[in-house]
Amino acid sequence: MKKNTMMRRGFAEYKTLDPAAKKRMRREFFINNALYIFLIIVIIAIAISRPRFLSPPSLINILSLSAANLPIALGIAGAIILTGTDLSAGRAVGLCACVAASLLQATGYANKMFPELSTVPVYLVVLLVVAIGALIGAINGFCTAKFNLHPFIVTLATQLIIYGSLLMYLTLGTNNGQSISGLDESYTGFINGSFLSVGGTAIPNFVWYSLIITVIMWFVWNKTTFGKNMFAVGSNPEAAHVSGVNVTRTIILVFTLAGALYGVTGFIEGARIGSNSAATGLNYELDAIAACVIGGVSFVGGIGKIRGVIMGVVLLRIIFVGLTFLAVNQNLQYIIKGLIILIACAIDMRKYLVRK
Amino acid sequence: MKKIFLPIIALVSILIFSGCMADEGGENTSVAVFYYTYSDPYISTVRASLDRELEALGVEYQDYDSNSSQTTQSEQVQTAITKGATMLVVNIVETGSDDAAQGIVEQARSAGIPLVFFNREVSDNVIASYEKCAFVGTDAAEAGHMQGELIADYILKNYDATDLNGDGKISYVLFKGQDGNAEAEFRTQYAVEDANKLLREAGKPELSFYNPNNRDKYLVDKNGTWSASAANEYMTTILTEYTESGKNMVEAIICNNDGMAEGAITALNTAGYNNGSGKTIPVFGVDATEAAVALIRAGKMTGTIKQDAEGMAKAIAHLTDNVKSVRDLMDGTQDMHVDTNVSKIRIPYGIYTGE
Repeated sequence: MKKNTMMRRGFAEYKTLDPAAKKRMRREFFINNALYIFLIIVIIAIAISRPRFLSPPSLINILSLSAANLPIALGIAGAIILTGTDLSAGRAVGLCACVAASLLQATGYANKMFPELSTVPVYLVVLLVVAIGALIGAINGFCTAKFNLHPFIVTLATQLIIYGSLLMYLTLGTNNGQSISGLDESYTGFINGSFLSVGGTAIPNFVWYSLIITVIMWFVWNKTTFGKNMFAVGSNPEAAHVSGVNVTRTIILVFTLAGALYGVTGFIEGARIGSNSAATGLNYELDAIAACVIGGVSFVGGIGKIRGVIMGVVLLRIIFVGLTFLAVNQNLQYIIKGLIILIACAIDMRKYLVRK
Repeated sequence: MKKIFLPIIALVSILIFSGCMADEGGENTSVAVFYYTYSDPYISTVRASLDRELEALGVEYQDYDSNSSQTTQSEQVQTAITKGATMLVVNIVETGSDDAAQGIVEQARSAGIPLVFFNREVSDNVIASYEKCAFVGTDAAEAGHMQGELIADYILKNYDATDLNGDGKISYVLFKGQDGNAEAEFRTQYAVEDANKLLREAGKPELSFYNPNNRDKYLVDKNGTWSASAANEYMTTILTEYTESGKNMVEAIICNNDGMAEGAITALNTAGYNNGSGKTIPVFGVDATEAAVALIRAGKMTGTIKQDAEGMAKAIAHLTDNVKSVRDLMDGTQDMHVDTNVSKIRIPYGIYTGE
């Protein structure tokens, strides 16, 4: 809404300007929205050469790939708003995925990790892994807030602790560090099953969970005191403290919430991929951080929108799918992704400095 | 004053301790085993077997996780030698060049202790450069050759069922685990080359990559982790563009390892394939992990190439026993597959199709 009125005002202003200023403003507009313009051009270009790129199955694929990555990105976004980051996210996802999968293997599966274990109700496992994630997050937040450490350091450390625990977990029961698969119907159905199809293509259930979480997170960020405190602490912790915000509690809560979202991501990943090992979740945080910064969640702190996070996640997935469709040389794909992150952040910083 | 006091105390106590420990080791065989990463399921199987074997031998051993970092590993080796290891067993991280392996050989040489490389291959020159050095592993190219044979064998037996669109050609996708890894390169190359050769001999056309625009003729895990999730995401994306109704469905899926095969199968499951009954797209892997064996038994996967983890562990244990009993490192290996000019023991691969 705000953007609309701003644009309208911008347009009214634009009409009153002399040609030189008009030209400058047009250029500004193009630079500021370069990413979106680029994205639209890319989509059109891919769609022309590979028409199926915009077919319902393909769109639903982009949607579901994005949905799988959204919760972790929403969690990390909170940490970035606090001028922090979270390197432990990927490993937390891995641990949660392995725990969920190990508890939800089909009874009678030959390599069941805990052979005596009967079928655990899915909702119990969801609660458990979300609790594990939240606990990891709470520890991250606690160390950050209480010991006054930068989250980069804290999560660099906890990431290792989680990985070690995960390796130990994988040797429990009958499992010798093997990947965990052979999942129970109740689990795979809950995640990969579908109750709604569009144009003959099923939308996997986890897309809806991701959607619900996004709505909740939008509400938390925009409509709650906690959300407002988060942005206040992010832009200036001293000022927030002076105006009566409990900075310590806010930081711990932001990280706890992030951890809970990693738990959700892990739970989804467990069944979505169907094979869980110590490598599960590796580097997930990097994609999530990239998505956040592409979407305008800024490392200067206190700046970011749910809309931006969604945009960033979807953009990265469109690039992945688009480049696969076009069969672009794999080496080039790394370079393209790197350039996009760099350009997106440069544009973003430029906007921020202008505003300042 | 205080600041200087603490380090001195620490130093003195270390000296005292090292004085006490200096005589330890010596006669006992103390084996240091370095794994390139604990997170690899196949390597975990080797580790479990080797731990058992070494315990049975009654030698002292310590396992190290190099966590996919050659720097970490080289430093661990250095530390283990200073700690008094009398034998090194190394699953090298860096396979792209000889430098790291040669560095470890030099360390072993100056300590005068035997060194066994395993699983990830080092070049003949490195092994030959030190008389107390050997390699236990597979012939990296063999897995690729064997997978090619497995693929051709299956396709020739089930040609019409595999050729879903009836155009007389089999379209395939290949998931590569890592760029620049010798095993991944060999598997990627030979699986297709050998399958094509056998298909040609049987008078059939060669396999064709599902997307003719892709010149690489493979899709690689960009994180280089041979991961199920990379294969899964590629596969779901492919399935949106290439379908049976579109008459361009992918008709065979070749994976560098079983993890990637699992990921691809999960994607196929969601699309209604490979559920044990009904339509099944042939999926081929390498490793014969427990999960893959279960999938093959359930009819959801076609076949895999078995890497004999236990055989590898037994061979390493044999060499350890030689060191323990003060025999030549390569003593009693006549019955094993050993390369002619160099101390390299080859553990054969095997085709596994659940039969």
